[in-house]
Amino acid sequence: MTLFTVVTRGLLRRPVRTGLTMIGIAIGIAAVVALVGISRGFETSWQSGMKTRGTDVVVSAMGSALTPKPFPAEVVGRITPLPHVAETCSLLVDLISVEAADMMIVSARQWGGFSWKNLKVVEGRLPNDEKEKAVVLGKTAAEVLKKKVGSTLQLETEELAVVGIVDGGAVVENGSVILSLSLLQELTGSQGKINIIDLRVTPGTSKEEVTALCEQIGKVVPEARAVVAGEHIRESQAYRVINAMSWGTSLLAVLVGVLGVMNTMLMAVFERTQEICVLLAIGWRRSRIIGMILWESALLGALGGLSGVILGVVGVHALVALPAIRGLLEPDLNLSLLATAVGIAMVVGVFSGLYPAWRGALLTPSRALHG
Amino acid sequence: MPNSTGDRSCIFEAAGLTKEYDDGQVQALRGVDVKIHEGEFVAIIGQSGSGKSTLLQLLGALDYPSAGSLLYRGTKLNGDTDLSRYRAREIGFIFQAFHLLPTFTALENVQIPMFETEPSPAARKKRASELLGLVGLEKRLDHFPSKLSGGERQRVAIARSLANGASVLLADEPTGNLDSQNAGIVLDLIVRLRQEKNITLVLVTHDPGIARQAQRVIAMKDGRIVSDVYNNPATAGGME
Repeated sequence: MTLFTVVTRGLLRRPVRTGLTMIGIAIGIAAVVALVGISRGFETSWQSGMKTRGTDVVVSAMGSALTPKPFPAEVVGRITPLPHVAETCSLLVDLISVEAADMMIVSARQWGGFSWKNLKVVEGRLPNDEKEKAVVLGKTAAEVLKKKVGSTLQLETEELAVVGIVDGGAVVENGSVILSLSLLQELTGSQGKINIIDLRVTPGTSKEEVTALCEQIGKVVPEARAVVAGEHIRESQAYRVINAMSWGTSLLAVLVGVLGVMNTMLMAVFERTQEICVLLAIGWRRSRIIGMILWESALLGALGGLSGVILGVVGVHALVALPAIRGLLEPDLNLSLLATAVGIAMVVGVFSGLYPAWRGALLTPSRALHG
Repeated sequence: MPNSTGDRSCIFEAAGLTKEYDDGQVQALRGVDVKIHEGEFVAIIGQSGSGKSTLLQLLGALDYPSAGSLLYRGTKLNGDTDLSRYRAREIGFIFQAFHLLPTFTALENVQIPMFETEPSPAARKKRASELLGLVGLEKRLDHFPSKLSGGERQRVAIARSLANGASVLLADEPTGNLDSQNAGIVLDLIVRLRQEKNITLVLVTHDPGIARQAQRVIAMKDGRIVSDVYNNPATAGGME
């Protein structure tokens, strides 16, 4: 018999209470995994979208919305002469309701720009020219909208032909409605406006040179900001608010878990007062009593954390399969997030056990002789 | 150990031992002076509230005296770490209500005190098994307390009290919760083990029959020792 046996017996003494407390922690940790995983997934999705488009630097004006603010297309002319700029592609990207889908990425790209080149046509074709009233759909978008090649798609006031279905190599690309920039500008009355410039640097450009280029762009284009691809979503106030809310909500859920474990461990200490006094009477050090209670609460936290991680992962996968958000993001449930979640649960366990452990250690062994 | 007073055979030496509760409103012990010698079997008798259990608690370092001093083998008992070490290594407790841990088997209950003295789980298990054999429970090793009779539970508690090779057994009404048959078995076992292992036994009891088996009987009333006699004067080597 080891101390672990003593600890597990302590928890198994009241299996229903232990189970309910574990579920409480599990829900808190599942919230951490789900909310943070989704929020990070949003960032990952944008990053992978950039990567597949072959973008090195993004020029945009991330404001309080999830999509960047529009700015005049003519700023491209100020960027192209700068050193290390190989090519640019202007985009107008928006998140809007499209037919049955509540929210869908509509990605309008400069005709002939490099952002078209990563699209692999699965069915049909790309638009013939920038004036053709046609769209191609990412394969997930086609499933969500239930469209095939030959269907029509209502976008704003115009009915557009679906001429192709494409595989963009990233969740964001596959979940998008893709069309030419000039067509969307015309449909939305945003002539001359773009909100993203994808930029490729010349081969062999160093990290430091890319950073210097971003600074230079900042000087010549004060209305937007240039950042290394993948980081631009972090510039979004909306993204920051979502991220902060994810953590805030998660921490609230975790706080509920803390109170649950603390209550359970306090009850355990009160119920086992006699036992703890007997342990002290037969020579257990107070530090061992504290250790026993803390290990019990840590184990409770760890078990709740592991259950929460499983619950969170399953929940997130079920969530992203919902038609409303399918294709918008890929949850980022990496090992570090899952390990952090279990770590949080263990810290919650230990933290929640501190007061009960202190109460347990204050008991006097003479009470063992009573009752 | 500091404060050695010289009398080697004297295992406990209490002087002016006082214990008060509720800011002095309750005086459980009122200046008790007593010496207990190595290997003695001492019965402490007295009515409820006489202070006999309080004296046992102080001897076992389960509580602190309010005043006076208590020496164990010439060393003053103080300091929490030292006291838990003292309780773990020197003292074996036998309680009236057995106080076995209900979620542990007999074998596991006996191993519990050894966490402080024996780091090897295998060695703890082996010793616990031997001790349960010594009290005649070798076939009850894996039984939980709820599946044992009162007499068996107290025998497990006796095995537990011997787990760390205690030199003093402190027993608080060890037969108080047992029928007469089991009480006889348990008392015989305690007395036999005391003789075999030359353990000092201090036993609190209401039962004059049990007290008669002791070498020395200390009677208490209102927190004071009112008589201290040897049943067999030939054994009174250490009497004050």
